[in-house]
Amino acid sequence: MAADSAPHVGRRRLRVEDPRLLTGGGRFVDDVELPGMLHAAFVRSPHPHARILGIDTEAALALDGVHAVVTGADLAEVVQPFVSALERPEVRTLVRDVLTTDRVRHVGEAVAVVVASSRYLAEDGCDLVAVDWAPTPAVADPLAAMTPDAPQVDPDAPGNLVADIRLESGDVEGCFAGADHVFAKRLHAQRHWGAPLENDGVLASYVPATDELTMWCTTQTPHATQSLVADALGMPSAQVRVIAHDMGGGFGARARTSVEEAIVPAVSRLLGRPVKWIADRSETLAAGVHAKEMVVDLSVAVTNGRLTAMRADVISDAGAYSLFPFTSLVDAISAPAAMPGIYVPEALAYRTRSVLTNKSWSGPYRGIGQGVSQVVRELLVDEVARELEVDPIELRVRNMATGDGPHRTHTGFVYDGGSYVQALRAVQERMDYAGLRDEQRRRRAAGEEPYLGIGVGAYVEFSGWSGELGRAHGYPSDYYDSASVTVEPDGSVMVTTGAQSHGQSHETTLAQVAADALGVAPDEVTVREGDTATSVWGMGTWASRTAVIYGGAIMRAAGDVRGRMALLAGHMLECSPDDVEMRDGRVWVAGSPDAAIAFADVAGFAYFGTAMAGHAGTGGGRPGELDVALTSTRPYSPPQVFSNGAIGVVATVDPGTGVVAVERVAFVEDCGTMLNPMVVDGQIAGSVGQAIGAALFEELSYGDDGAFLSPTLQDYLLPTALDMPALDIGHLVSPSPVTEGGIKGMGEVGMVCGPAAIACAVADALAPLGVRIDRMPLDPDGVLDAIRRARD
Amino acid sequence: MSGEQPITVTVNGEPRTAPTEPRMLLADFLRHELGLTGTHVGCEQGVCGACTVLVDGELVRSCLLFAVQADGAAVETVESLGTREALHPIQEAFREHHALQCGFCTPGFLMAAKALLDAEPDPTEAEIRDHLRGNICRCTGYTGIVAAVRAAAQQLAQEGDRGR
Ligand code: FES
Ligand code: FES
Repeated sequence: MAADSAPHVGRRRLRVEDPRLLTGGGRFVDDVELPGMLHAAFVRSPHPHARILGIDTEAALALDGVHAVVTGADLAEVVQPFVSALERPEVRTLVRDVLTTDRVRHVGEAVAVVVASSRYLAEDGCDLVAVDWAPTPAVADPLAAMTPDAPQVDPDAPGNLVADIRLESGDVEGCFAGADHVFAKRLHAQRHWGAPLENDGVLASYVPATDELTMWCTTQTPHATQSLVADALGMPSAQVRVIAHDMGGGFGARARTSVEEAIVPAVSRLLGRPVKWIADRSETLAAGVHAKEMVVDLSVAVTNGRLTAMRADVISDAGAYSLFPFTSLVDAISAPAAMPGIYVPEALAYRTRSVLTNKSWSGPYRGIGQGVSQVVRELLVDEVARELEVDPIELRVRNMATGDGPHRTHTGFVYDGGSYVQALRAVQERMDYAGLRDEQRRRRAAGEEPYLGIGVGAYVEFSGWSGELGRAHGYPSDYYDSASVTVEPDGSVMVTTGAQSHGQSHETTLAQVAADALGVAPDEVTVREGDTATSVWGMGTWASRTAVIYGGAIMRAAGDVRGRMALLAGHMLECSPDDVEMRDGRVWVAGSPDAAIAFADVAGFAYFGTAMAGHAGTGGGRPGELDVALTSTRPYSPPQVFSNGAIGVVATVDPGTGVVAVERVAFVEDCGTMLNPMVVDGQIAGSVGQAIGAALFEELSYGDDGAFLSPTLQDYLLPTALDMPALDIGHLVSPSPVTEGGIKGMGEVGMVCGPAAIACAVADALAPLGVRIDRMPLDPDGVLDAIRRARD
Repeated sequence: MSGEQPITVTVNGEPRTAPTEPRMLLADFLRHELGLTGTHVGCEQGVCGACTVLVDGELVRSCLLFAVQADGAAVETVESLGTREALHPIQEAFREHHALQCGFCTPGFLMAAKALLDAEPDPTEAEIRDHLRGNICRCTGYTGIVAAVRAAAQQLAQEGDRGR
């Protein structure tokens, strides 16, 4: 098959994005400059909890070059507060002023904006703003926040409780009462986050003469942000344009609308001039969207080697505010929902609570809920295996869903099937599991250090987050996601979607989808996203939804356009439209490929009744009934869809220093129809890299008094090239029976199963010492502490 | 602005003069005074390496250097490598090995890789990882980056052989 011949889906296609990004031609927020642009910097709280008695802006305003100092009082009239709500009785609706007027609730919360002719002067101005603080007691620990005398973070959330949700399905009591064994553990998962490499930024330009607002910002949800910001500012959405061209990562941390995305446009509107704000790293760390801090208690009932029931209690640390618009329940709802994972207990119960503390707000980070659930569950499954003296892989296989058909979980998910057992067996083989166990026995017998540990796990990843999947979680709403496909007069193809690509290669992979659906080469297809003025509406890119949802929407829209192209071609070729074939940019009557005409000629005929210059045409005369638009916009909202796979980790642990090294990772994934295997492998490698940070060192630390202890990248450690092990990737392909094209999403894989498998490997290495892992991350202090506790 | 003085820096082979405050960082000077926005700023804390450029052939973090310190020096940025039509072999290798996703870290990695290969045309994988440990990539897990630098070394060696 020629390299440029269909099908293009499934091929390793080099990225369309790369030439500009490799030559310094990316268009990130801070790369945009506008005439008359001013620069903003924020005055932020050094206190975790304090009342604001007064803000003296005089000295700052007196500084040459400072144009304005804007406080919460100035914005109260012009920006509506953010309301974070979920239509469920168990969830409290919380309201946040975008810029506080009376009180700060965490270190790094903004209290004023200084606008100046340069960023340097804006920061000078911040130093001159004098805030009269009255610090009040703060609470940083979610368990402490639930005690009766704890400081109250929000008057609308008595007891610091945002939500308290329970679910019970099956005979949980009976299973536990009749169990051969009951195993239980509590895990503290640390606060960490997506940490995109590009800091947050907003450039807003309000033009008084036209009453239009254009903003460039770091967002994974341009259209949702357009709607929400327009609403907050009291403007029609259609007068607001949000642009997020290139963006230096998101990983969920930008699937939200930030307060700065409302403040900076409001300030631009007050001043009638463009205003740019680019966060520095400290404010991004202190006021970004944190994630995954949870205390999870899990018990399992085991009878005849089978996990018959699970009971989970999740306490999720919301931080000081409920995230806008998804609320603080992102992890709190997903973690218990994902608790069964790949297993099929007869019964399950959970309680989950979202608790306010004096820390930055929390929300999505790759592998929401699933990743932490997997850590506690897989550690516990290994403890069961150890106690029952069963091999951990065999115990898993015995208790797993097979993937042969659909499976409904007690928590409301419907898995669409896949290669659940095969994937784990494939990992077992790829990593030479038996050989590794032999080596481990040999080293243990010889007393060799560092210790060798093996961690394995199988997973399902929920993907294609649509209304149906959201509702299965307990998010009672629908979403609208669409794509448009247009054949231009020259036969080239324009695709727009409501997604936003920040590393996921949409310009490359979605072009492959459109190319196959229309019968043209991918190079003929341009994909435009990340600009609400040029792209059709959608909820954006998060939760592994783009390939499934927008890929499906493109197939549907392209199907419409292809049908119209067939009508036109049927007229040109004097045949029935049903007999028209299209591939590789050529169009012919079935059976006569030699008499093909060019796809471009059909396009030209549609627009001008004749092909464009230089092509053989029909000389005009397009009949009236063929006056069709070669464009279509289609929504797509898929059923629940889950990819699956398995991971094996080989790690060493030095019991003297507590240092863990991940030596090797074997990965087998199954995302159904792969759009582009190179991109799939890239998502695996990237998410495994993040899993190493999540398991071994990333932590946003706070003191008990709420002091923020991770203001730089020297405190918040990210993995480097030295931390990344050799990675061996295999693929299985079980197309989804329920989605367009059989596509399943897989953008979070490594963060779904990786931290768990690494933790299991560490626990395995230290098992002879009687060590149990109940705290993350497993940094040297954490490992040494676990060893010490086992000895005591 | 008070205290501004003109400095002259040879950037990518071209002498550029601009009035500069003593406290202006080299990264800001390149990006905002000269409009060379390929050099990125990820931390201003000297940790992430996104702002990496070459000054008189030495790898530096342009967020840790004042522009005035580069007065009279020769600075090379990502814009000195290839063009869209004719990528530099290191850029080509990055594309071939999917060594970038969001692309924000990429200019820093390209300059760091160039400095490595200028000094050590045939680095081992361990040397590559060690050399790149000062650059953070949040997207790729480094797998593609390390593969790309190895491939670029081979490609450059071949081109060198042909040139000889
Ligand atoms: S911006 Fe210079 S090292 Fe991060
Ligand atoms: S490609 Fe995104 S940080 Fe490296």
